[in-house]
Formats: sequence, structure tokens, C-alpha cells
Amino acid sequence: MENPRLEMRGIVKTFGPVTALDAVDLVVGRNEVHGLLGGNGAGKTTLMNVLYGLYRPNAGEVLLDGQPVSIGSPKDAIAAGVGMVHQTFLQVDNYTVTENIVLGTDVPGPLRLDLTEARERIRELSERFGLTVDPDAVVEELPVGVRQRVEILKALYRGAKVLILDEPTTNLTPQEVDDLFGSMRAMVDDGMSVVLITHKIRETLSVCDRMTVMRDGRRVETLERSDTDAEHLAEKMVGSTTDPGAVVEAAALGAVDAEAVEETLSSVGTTIAVAVRDLVVVNDQGHELIRGFDLELREGEIVGIAGVAGNGQVELAEALAGVRPLRAGSVEVSGRAMGGLATSSWLEHGVAYVPEDRHRDGILPTASITENLVLGSQRSPKVRRFGLIDWGAAKQRAVDAIAEFSVRANGPGTLVGDLSGGNIQRVILARAFARRPRLLILHNPTRGLDIGSTRFVYQQVRTATAAGCAVLLISEDLDEVIALSDRVIALYQGSRAGEWPHGSVDAYEVGRSMTGLGEARV
Amino acid sequence: MGEITELLTLMIPAMVPFLLAAQGTVLSGRAGVFNVSQEGLMVLGAAVGFLVSFKVGSNTVGMAAAFAIAGVFGLVLAYMTTQLRLDQFVVGLALYFAALGAAGLLYREVIGVTMEPPLIPTLEDKPIPLLSDIPFLGEVLFDHDLVVYLAFAISVAIWWFMYKTRSGLAFRSIGENPKAADSLGINVTWARTWSTVVGSGLVGMAGAYLPMVYTGLYTEGMVAGRGWLVIALAFLGGWRPHLVIAGAAFFAGMEVLALRAQVAGIGIPHQFVLMLPYVATLLVMVFAFRWARQPSFLGRNYDRESRLVG
Repeated sequence: MENPRLEMRGIVKTFGPVTALDAVDLVVGRNEVHGLLGGNGAGKTTLMNVLYGLYRPNAGEVLLDGQPVSIGSPKDAIAAGVGMVHQTFLQVDNYTVTENIVLGTDVPGPLRLDLTEARERIRELSERFGLTVDPDAVVEELPVGVRQRVEILKALYRGAKVLILDEPTTNLTPQEVDDLFGSMRAMVDDGMSVVLITHKIRETLSVCDRMTVMRDGRRVETLERSDTDAEHLAEKMVGSTTDPGAVVEAAALGAVDAEAVEETLSSVGTTIAVAVRDLVVVNDQGHELIRGFDLELREGEIVGIAGVAGNGQVELAEALAGVRPLRAGSVEVSGRAMGGLATSSWLEHGVAYVPEDRHRDGILPTASITENLVLGSQRSPKVRRFGLIDWGAAKQRAVDAIAEFSVRANGPGTLVGDLSGGNIQRVILARAFARRPRLLILHNPTRGLDIGSTRFVYQQVRTATAAGCAVLLISEDLDEVIALSDRVIALYQGSRAGEWPHGSVDAYEVGRSMTGLGEARV
Repeated sequence: MGEITELLTLMIPAMVPFLLAAQGTVLSGRAGVFNVSQEGLMVLGAAVGFLVSFKVGSNTVGMAAAFAIAGVFGLVLAYMTTQLRLDQFVVGLALYFAALGAAGLLYREVIGVTMEPPLIPTLEDKPIPLLSDIPFLGEVLFDHDLVVYLAFAISVAIWWFMYKTRSGLAFRSIGENPKAADSLGINVTWARTWSTVVGSGLVGMAGAYLPMVYTGLYTEGMVAGRGWLVIALAFLGGWRPHLVIAGAAFFAGMEVLALRAQVAGIGIPHQFVLMLPYVATLLVMVFAFRWARQPSFLGRNYDRESRLVG
């Protein structure tokens, strides 16, 4: 390529004995949306963190507009014209949009702050690039999609020539994704270059001009949009498509249509396993976040809950898992009313919960695998002897679980906090399945997992449904919900905003319902 | 002079220790450093302020010395929490005990045991020309010693700095989200350090004011828990300098009322009357905690490297 905007040559980055980046090259042209495609752990974000000065590379060089640059900190990166929007936003919650954007810049008024000019500039930028936002709104009151625009504006305000977006579509509705892609187009038309980090093939194909596929810390291939298709990219990303498990996963990645996985879903039984009626749940502050929710789950059925984060997902999951009291309404599991029972009774009646925040709610990080697996089963006769825990039996169970769930660990005594995200999730699943669940609640079960672990989670879900377990899949990954669920329910402000059977789900329709614009509400 | 006027006139100087110490606490708190050594720093400030005034013969020098010695304690707190990342609460408590001990030791070393306790001159009232001639208001607000005016001026200055300047915008962001501040090139460690030093210095000045205003005497226990009340005051004011002024008026008002009730000789044991400010504090806190907000990162250390791990 002639006269590229950005060149990264032979970037090597190691963390201790692990090589995260193995001599990676990346060339991004002017006026180009460049997709950086790969599964979790492929090294995409690490490569961009090097460019943004968060990581120091062990070897390699970076050239911007043909000039070698030395970037040792985000400050250097900003000065060189590189901006990055992280997956988690770095914003001051109680500041306005303008205040957040100008923070750390030389706005006029060392003694008397004057934001009028800055406000105008932000308004101008937001109009030019279609990033609609009210400069005077307080960011904590804004939805995720708008807060993301604030992050982008932060980079644009500082004069970014290269904008890195790290998995920007994760929490967006399909409409917001379209808007974002429109803005990205406007930016490259304006002379900027955009690097889009993503694991979703469909996105890459719809917005990128060129794309680089990464796997295991290496660059696999760099392609023009016109020279490739979904199957090819999936093959490059995953390594092979002959494995049957890869099909479901490829669908979740957006490579193939959800219909392709129809036959891999289990058959749904006729017996009602779980009945939820008029459920009302309050959060820690006493606000009603689930208001009058009804749900019936049949044996072997997967019901997916789609929604923008913060619409009551956590409260719904915790209420159905028996760890949060029901304010009103009822939950029946196998015909038995569970309201008011202790969490231990919920566990005994076959409710298993895989929480969203696996580090905080799922495990004890400083306890061993053995100890974590005993949790919740401590009263079970299988691990008890003379009224005390039989650590010998517990350890044997842990050894079995490590083998069955392919946990990569040195042994049952390994501290769970030392495991990778995927292996922690395997431990949590092993614990959930140890009691043959009747109801399995999964909340964002594959977030942050590598491809192997994602596939493993999907396999376990299929195993569970085959045994008649009802599964409630709450996920912010709309593709995942649509690909796996027998029914999809949209959740908006604590109520059901639409329902679709598998095979007739339109992502845009779900997206509209998730944001309160669906027909069920009109 | 009417009873009300008299009470209010007494309340204004009584506000000073609360104001200085609470604004100092709020200053470092908004950068995320939760100082809990106020009681100790005030006792030390009272002792050092008194002793230096006594030896040098100048209240101003005494006050400056109190500011300096408490500032040094603040520097220790800042170093321990920003560099060594020790728990702010534990370090603060250790500094409380250290300051308390240092105060007692200093007084004994310098003065020793005497039959007649040494005296320093109390601060003179300096009425502000013209303003002090306004009926009622002039008497209540503008006829006090210089430290009273200084305490209010400092309160306004801190408020202006935090809410009206560019650096104030950056400064407050550190207490809310130091990671965001750091990512935008704002120096978290520096801001936490200077604000803790200056804030602690103000707490020391608050202590030094006590022997200089009423009796000219230093007595052990003269701080009487005001340092702890100051922490409550910071929360009560939602860590906002302008609301802290109102809170200081409330605490000072309770103090003056308790004193009055004692003098008036109403038929309840005076220990109960002295409890009044503390009971009122408890009651107010119960309600204040419902609405008062605090910096999100108050009391939490920031470690830039942890960003790379998480």
C-alpha cells in the first residue's frame, strides 16, 4: 500500500512466559475502516493497547504517516493523533458530556472556567459525524449507546487521526450499531482512519474496507472486503469449520444465519418446568426493576432474554436463582412455589445460576477449586462425614470435574482466582451441573471467553437441555440469544416488550423492543 | 443586645474550627483521600499553636506552625497511601494516635508541670469598617477576629477552585474516577499529595484557633471530639464546600446552645446538655445519609498498574 496512515511492524509483546503478540504487522490506509478480527485471546486488543501506549512492546516499531513514533503512554498516543475507545468507558459519572470531553485539555479559563467554546466545538463535531449527544447532559443519566458517543467525541475533540474502537457494538441495539457505522463512514470520508476491533464477522463485512484476521497472537491474513466472505473469515478465525460445534459458534459470531443451527437445538418437552407469575423484584436501592414479569419455561427449553444492560436483567436472574427476595408474584419450579424459601432450598430444588460477574458473584477467588466446588453442596451427604465436610471426597469430586469440564489447572488445590476467565466459567458450570439442575440461569455466560470456552459453554447448554433442564439465557449479545434460544423475549424497563419463536426473530425488531420502540409498547 | 443576636454572634467564631477542619477534610476527600486523623491533628495543632505563640509571642506564627506540623502529618498520609498504597483508614488512625501523643509530649517538654498555667493573648476583634456598622448583620458577621474572616475566605476560595476553575474540574474528577483522570493526563498522585498536605494543615489551624480564641489557655481535651464531628460534617455537607458552611453553622449553633443552656442553669445535669451536639449529629446523619453524596473513590487508593491487569 502506498503512503499508509499507520504501520505497525513486527510487534512482539510477552507477559511473563506467555507470548501475546508474535511479530504482528498491521497496515492501515487513509480513509479506511480497518477490521481487526479474531476470537477472544487472539491479541487484537493487546495490539491496539500497544498502539495506544498502554503496553510497551518488547520489539517492533510504529509508523504514523511514514514517520517512526515512540508511544510510551496514552498521552503520547493522543499527541500523535491516536484515539481509543475502550470497552469500559473511562468517564466521570456525575460530570456533563462537555466536562468529560474537555477534562485534561487546555480549555480557556484557568481561573474562571469557560466552556462555551468547547460546547460549540462538541456540537459541531457531533453534527459533522452524526454523533448525536446533548453537551449539557450528565453522563450517568445517558444510555450506553450515547456514552459511547461521548468517548468517541473525546478522541475527536483531541484531534485523533486514527480512532481505535474496541468491540464497540457489544452493548448496542442493531439500530445504534447502524448509527455507529454511519459515523465511522463519516470519519473516514473526513480523512480519518478507523480500526474496528471485533469478533463479529458480519460487522466486519458490513462496515470494513479491509480487514486483518488474528489468531493466537499472530496475524493470519489481511484482506480486501471485496476478496472475502463470511465462510472464509470464519475459517481463518476459528482455524477450521469441519467441527460441528463450530457451526453454532460461527452463528453466534455472526458468520452464518441462525437457521443453520436449528437442528442442533434440542427438542422442547411439554411439561412446564418453571412458572413465573407477576414477578416484581426491587434492586438494592429499593427501585422496582422487574415489574409484573410472566414466564413459563418447559423442560428442555431455552428461553433467551434480550435487553440493554440495566433493564432488570440482574434482578431477574437473581430473583429466579433464589438469591434476591421476590417483592411480589410467584416462582414455581416443578410445581412447587419457591417464594420465601431460603437460597439453600432453591438449590435443592434444582435451580442453578451462572452469574454475569463471575469474579464477584460466581467464585471465591482465594479459595481452591475443591473448595469452590463444595460451595452450595456443603450439606450434601456426598461430601459429608460425621457432620463435617469430607475433604477427601470433595477433592475426588474436584479431580473428576477438572477432567470432565477440561479445566486447565495444576490440580484441585489451584486457587480459582489464578485461573483464566474461561476456566473459571468451567468451574462454575461444573458446580452448577453437579446437582442435575431443573432450571439453569445463565447471565452473559460467554462474555470475555475464548473460542474454545464459548463452544464448551454451548455444548454444556445442549447437554443440559437434552436431560430436560430448562434454560434461561440472559445475554446482551443479541446474536448469541437469537442463535441459541427456542424463544426470545425482549426485556425493557423490567417488563416483557416482545416475544419471538426461534426462526422468526428479526434482530432489528428485537432491537426496537429492547429500547422501548417496539410495537408491543406502541 | 438581643438574645438572638448574642447567640449568633457567639456562633460565628464557634464555626471557625469546624469550617477550617471540614474544608481541609473536603479538599483532600474530593481527590479521594479520606483523612480520619482530624481529632489528633487538631489536638496537635492546638498544642503547637499555643506553645509557639507562647514562646515567640505571636499568634500568627503559632497558627502558621500548627499549619506546618499538621501539613507534615498530611504528607505522611499522602505518601503512605499514594506511594505505598496502604489503607487510608489504618494510616489515618495511626496518625491520630501519633499526633495525640506528640501533643501531650510537646506540652510536657516545653512547659512541664506548673501550678499556674501559662497564658497567651487571645485574638483581637477587628471590626470591618463600614460593614460592621450595619445594624444586626454588622454585629453578627463583621465584628470578629481575623481568623474568622480567613476561615470564610478559605471556604469560598476552595469552592471557587473546585467549581469555577479548569484545575478544579480536573481535581474533582480524581475523587470520582481516578482512572479516567489518569487516562487524560491528570496527575493523580500530585493532586492527592498537595490536597492532603494543605487539607491537613487547615485541620491543624482549626486546632490552633481553640486556645487563641476563648481563654488563652491550653488544656488537654479542649478539642473535645470536634475532630470526629468534622468527619460527620464533611459527609453532612456532601463533600461540598458551600454546604459545609451551612453544616458548620449547625454544629456551632448546637455548641453555643449547649453552653447557653448550661449557663441558664436549667435543671438537667450539664453532661446531658453537653451531649446535645453529638445527639443532634446522630439524628441529622440518619437523614443526611439518604441524600448526601460522596466522591465515588473516597478512601480508595489508585494503582495505575491495576488497569493493565483488569
